[in-house]
Amino acid sequence: MSGPIALEGPGGGRATGEVLYRETFEILGNDFEHGGVVATRIKAILRQLGFPTEAIRRLSIANFEAEMNVIMYAEEGTLELAVLPHGVRVTVDDRGPGIPDIDWAMQEGNSTATPEIRARGFGAGLGLPNIKRNSDEFVIESTVGVGTRLSYTVYVSGNAGA
Amino acid sequence: MPHRAHAIVTDTTRCIGCITCSKACPTKAIRVRDNVAEVDDELCIDCGTCMEVCRREAMRPRTSSPADLKKFAYTVALPSLTLYAQFGREFHPGQVLHALRGLGFDETYDISWMCEMVMGATDAYLSEATDPWPKISVTCPALVRLVQIRYPDLIPHLVPIETPRELAAKLRRRRIAAERGLDPSEIGMFLITPCTALSHSIVAPMGLEASHLDGVFSIAEMYGPILKSMREDPGSDPVDTVSVRGLRWAMAGGEIAGMRNANSMTVRGLQDVIYVFDRIEAGTFQNVDFIEAYICPDGCVSGGLTVVGRYTAQRNLQDAYRLLGDQATVKEEKVRSLLREHFFDLEAEIRARPVRPLAPDLREAIALKREKDALLKRLAGKGCAACGAPDCETLADDIVRGKAQLTDCVFVRLAALEKAQSAPQRGRHD
Repeated sequence: MSGPIALEGPGGGRATGEVLYRETFEILGNDFEHGGVVATRIKAILRQLGFPTEAIRRLSIANFEAEMNVIMYAEEGTLELAVLPHGVRVTVDDRGPGIPDIDWAMQEGNSTATPEIRARGFGAGLGLPNIKRNSDEFVIESTVGVGTRLSYTVYVSGNAGA
Repeated sequence: MPHRAHAIVTDTTRCIGCITCSKACPTKAIRVRDNVAEVDDELCIDCGTCMEVCRREAMRPRTSSPADLKKFAYTVALPSLTLYAQFGREFHPGQVLHALRGLGFDETYDISWMCEMVMGATDAYLSEATDPWPKISVTCPALVRLVQIRYPDLIPHLVPIETPRELAAKLRRRRIAAERGLDPSEIGMFLITPCTALSHSIVAPMGLEASHLDGVFSIAEMYGPILKSMREDPGSDPVDTVSVRGLRWAMAGGEIAGMRNANSMTVRGLQDVIYVFDRIEAGTFQNVDFIEAYICPDGCVSGGLTVVGRYTAQRNLQDAYRLLGDQATVKEEKVRSLLREHFFDLEAEIRARPVRPLAPDLREAIALKREKDALLKRLAGKGCAACGAPDCETLADDIVRGKAQLTDCVFVRLAALEKAQSAPQRGRHD
């Protein structure tokens, strides 16, 4: 187990006890056809709940990257949306190869994507850093051969990704 | 928020309250209540879909009347390029401009050269622009309104360059005022429009505090009189200002065809726009510089207020290109100097008009979302629209917002009726 490594953004460190609303979405590995569907559905939910456009924008970028990561690298995974009183926390769990060197994977441009994935315009090694940049709190844990867990939070008043 | 005067009005004497328009509306802006289609001003993007699908011609375009011309000391008609495309090879743009002038305008003003200018300005903008990519054209007003309502995150992608029609009207008004010693307000600028979206962009402009245009006449209403006039009087106005490169803008693909930047895409028709924009929002297509997109399937030639149909119109345009040769009228030098003067800049910010949340308070909104999800399970899910809303999800949304009732659903009512009928029988047996 190479983690957990907590990487906190500028808005980090706030207590996140109460969850007002929770919904879990399934993601299938290699299901490129539905890539982005979960991110789009979450966006629609958050708009109905009245979250500000800017917070939704940052979260959507992070969600799309996380969703695509499961599709590209894992067997399957879940994305859990947790609405907090002043923000949104997303937890993505996947069953897959895991990440042997998280520090390496967190650097822009580093990727283990196959040529097939790159041919689709993905796998440029920007996904994980992009999620971190667009969230106020970011935690990643991974076990090789088991899977990866990502958790990131965007606060309504946070300024990550600005 | 003030009520926006929409470009499409329901003719209540013709509307029978069928659900055809409500189901077809891309933004779910129409509800049928008391057998009349009602349009929600905040959601309508004036795309004209309702007008197109209505079998009783009950959705009518709102245009100017000849009396509006009398309000001005001097009037100018600015034909959309699509007007030229309505006439075959026997009539060229010079004759169309001539005939149009004879219908009560003091002047007709061709805007094709301004289209070419804007292509140049867009190229210059793209060469210096930074994130986010891709940039999106603001030509189609229905598209811009769709972005404001459904894709507010994409507003930073919109090219901040004013449209050729507005720039042409601004420039021409300024010149006429100077040449004739008139107050700018005494000059009336009228667009001959292929669609309702353009009509509405004058009443409720985007990227502008106020439109430089004063009114619209539809191509459909001008077509007959222009054709008659051209047959009777073969006269022609000069065509040396007509830019063939600019003319291509009437068809989807024409804007990018006239640009240097080759890393671009054309997106045609509402369904494709939604497909592509959902993906841009999710972060794909970042490797594309520029997207030209139209709500109508082939761009302006397929506008709802045209006459000859988009296939004939495109054929006619090809004829016009052949007739006029590859006539480019704009000097790059001129575009660069106007860019330095900020001539092309949008005059106001394009603002988001996102969907209203279920409630202003988060906890309350979550409670209503749960209520809505529960309601959806009780509704039949057939999407019959007999309730007046286009589908079950919209009905559930309307119910939790207090704008409809569960009993509006015919299946819920039917179930209640069956239960009521079976109740007394059970009573007898008991």
